[in-house]
Amino acid sequence: MAAYFARRFLLLIPTFIGITFVVFSITQFVPGGPIDQMILNMQASATEGGVGGSGSTVEIPPESLAALKEHFNLDKPFFVAYGYWLWDLVQLDLGKSYKYNVPVIEVITSRFPISIYFGLLGFFLAYLICVPLGVLKAIRHGSRLDIASSLIVFAGYSIPGWALGGVLLVLLGGGSFLDWIPLGGFRSEGWEDFSVWHKITDQLHHTILPVMAYMVGSFATLTILMKNSLMENLGQDYVRTAFAKGLSERSVIFGHALRNSLIPICTGLGHAIGLIMAGSYLIEKVFNIQGIGYLGYTSIVDRDYAVVMGILVINTLLVLIGNILSDVLYVLVDPRIRFS
Amino acid sequence: MSQPLLQVKDLHTYFNVEGQRAWACAGVSFDVMPGEFLGIVGESGSGKSVTALSIMRLIPDPPGRIDSGEVVFDGRDLLQLPLNEMRRVRGRDIAMIFQEPMTSLNPVLNIGRQVMEAVVLHEKLSREESRNRVIEVLEQVGIPDAGKRLKDYPHQFSGGMRQRVMIAMALICKPRLLIADEPTTALDVTIQAQILELMADLQNQREGSATILITHDLAVVAESCDRVIVMYGGRIQEVASTRDIFQEPLHPYTKGLMGSIPQEDSKGKPLFAIQGNVPAILDFPPGCRFCSRCELVEDRCRSEEPPLVDLGGGRAVRCHLVEKLPSNAEAEEAAP
Repeated sequence: MAAYFARRFLLLIPTFIGITFVVFSITQFVPGGPIDQMILNMQASATEGGVGGSGSTVEIPPESLAALKEHFNLDKPFFVAYGYWLWDLVQLDLGKSYKYNVPVIEVITSRFPISIYFGLLGFFLAYLICVPLGVLKAIRHGSRLDIASSLIVFAGYSIPGWALGGVLLVLLGGGSFLDWIPLGGFRSEGWEDFSVWHKITDQLHHTILPVMAYMVGSFATLTILMKNSLMENLGQDYVRTAFAKGLSERSVIFGHALRNSLIPICTGLGHAIGLIMAGSYLIEKVFNIQGIGYLGYTSIVDRDYAVVMGILVINTLLVLIGNILSDVLYVLVDPRIRFS
Repeated sequence: MSQPLLQVKDLHTYFNVEGQRAWACAGVSFDVMPGEFLGIVGESGSGKSVTALSIMRLIPDPPGRIDSGEVVFDGRDLLQLPLNEMRRVRGRDIAMIFQEPMTSLNPVLNIGRQVMEAVVLHEKLSREESRNRVIEVLEQVGIPDAGKRLKDYPHQFSGGMRQRVMIAMALICKPRLLIADEPTTALDVTIQAQILELMADLQNQREGSATILITHDLAVVAESCDRVIVMYGGRIQEVASTRDIFQEPLHPYTKGLMGSIPQEDSKGKPLFAIQGNVPAILDFPPGCRFCSRCELVEDRCRSEEPPLVDLGGGRAVRCHLVEKLPSNAEAEEAAP
C-alpha cells in the first residue's frame, strides 16, 4: 500500500505540470497581455493628466518595449517561457506581481487567511449541520420534519450563493428594511483597537451572511447524500442481523449502519480541501471581502499573470493532495479497501 | 408429552403492496417441540421467511405488519411483549441465521466485535470473558485459529466460513430456538453438507433446544430435519415427519416438489417441474392457493379453500382430494 501511495505522489508531478502548462500557454496567447495592460494604464493616466488631449497615444520606444518583453519572457516561445517559470517555481519563487510589483507569494498570503477563515468555517458548519440533519431525515423518513427540511435545502440548492447574499444584504444590511448586519467587509474599521470580546462579536457579525452564502449550495448535496447513504444501509441484511441479536434501534443505527454510511461522506472530505481555499469571486464581491476568489478574478482582468499562476499552483496542489487524502481516508474507514 | 417450546397460532402477516394488503402469512399455526429439528419448505414467495421474521418480530414496518395471531414462547405471547422485552428475547432466547453470509455481516466491523455484541448485550460479561466466549464459540463452529481471526473482517473469510461466523454469532448466547433462514442456499454443495452437519451437531449439544430450518431444498430437509412443514401461498399445505413426507407425500404440491428432485432412475428423462410459476403475491387464486398450478384441480378447488385436515400421527394436509389421493405407498403396492 505504501508503494501505491508513493506512486500516487509521483503522479502528482506530471499532473501538476500538465495543468500549469495548459493555463500558462493560454495566458501567453490571449490578447491583451501585461504589456498592453501597462500601455493602457499609461494612456489612461496620460489622458487624465491632460497631456496630449483626446485620442492621443503614448508612444513607447521600441527598445523599451523589447526590454519589457524580455523582462516578462514574452520574447521567447511560450514553452521556453514556461520552462523559465517552472524553474523559478522549483526554487519556490512565484515571481512578482506585475500590478503590485511585490512578490506574488506576499499578495496571495495577504488574502489567504480570509479565504481559509470562510472556507474552513463553512466547511465545518456544513458537516456539523448536514451530517446530523441527514441522519435525522433518514431515521424519520417521510415525516413532516423530513419534508420541510428537504424543501429548505433544495430551495437553498437552487439559489446561487451570491444571489442569496445579495437578497439577505438588502433585507438585513440596513438599507431599506432591517439593520441587523453590516453591509460588508471582513471586519469593521479600527478592528485592531477593539477589546477582545468586541473583536469576536464584530468578526462574527461580519461572518454570518457570507458563510451562509458560501454554504447554501453544498448544504443540499451533503444532507441528501448523508440521508440516502444511511437509508440504503438501513435496508441492508446486516442491519436485520443486528436487530436479530437484540440490539436497540439506536445501537443498530449508530453502531452498525452509520459507520457504513459515513464512508462516502468521509472520502468527500479530501476533495473538499481544494474547495475550501478556492473562495468565490461573486460572494466575495457581494460582501466586499478581499479573499482569494476576488484576487483571482481581478488578477485575470488585470492580466497579472504571475498572480494568476500563483493562485493556480496553490489550488492545484491542494486539489491533487486532497484527492490522495480521499484515498487515504477510504483505507482508514473501509477495511475492504486495500490499494496495491 | 412435554410442552412445546414455541407455539405459533393463527399467525397473519401482510404487506402493503400497491395499496392492497398482501397476506404473506395467512393463518399459520404450528408447534416446535424441545429438541426438534423442524423444516419449513416451499418455493420463494411461499411465506416461510415471513413466518420466521414474524416470530422474531423483524418484519419491516412499513410496508409489512403482523396483523393477528399468537407466538407463544415460554408461556408469553411474543407479539404482545413491549419492544424492550422483545429485544431481550432476540439473540438470547431465539436467534436467527440468514441466507447471505456476505451481506448479513457488517462489512466494516471485525468479526470478533460482531460475534461478541450479543453476549455483551445479553449477559453483561466482562471484555475478557466475552473474548474467551467468542473464541470458544468460533472454535466450536470450526473456525481454525479463532483467536487470531477476531480482528479479521468478513471479506477475509470464505462463504462457508462466513456462515460459520453467522452461526457462532447466533449461538453465542445459547438460544433455545435457532431459526435458520436458507442458511446453505448461497453455499457450494460440499460446504452445505458441512454446515448442516454442524447445525445438527450443535443442536444435539444444546439440551432441549430446537431449530427451525427454512429452505426450498428438500435435499437439505432430508439430511437434517425430524419434521417438515410445507408452505405455499402463505399457508401450511402439509405437515409430516421427514420419513413420511419422502415416502408418502400427500399434497399435490409436496409431490411436485418431490418430483423435481433428480433421482437415479430419472436419468436421461426430462426433469419434472411443477407447471407455471408462483403467482405474484396479489395474484393468488381464491379457493385453494395451489389450484392454478395443480394437475388434479377440480371445480371445488377454485372456489373453496380446503381446511388443513389433521390425519393423526402428526400428519396434516390441506387438500380437497386428500381422501381420493392414492398415496405413493399404496400405488406401489397395487402395482403388479
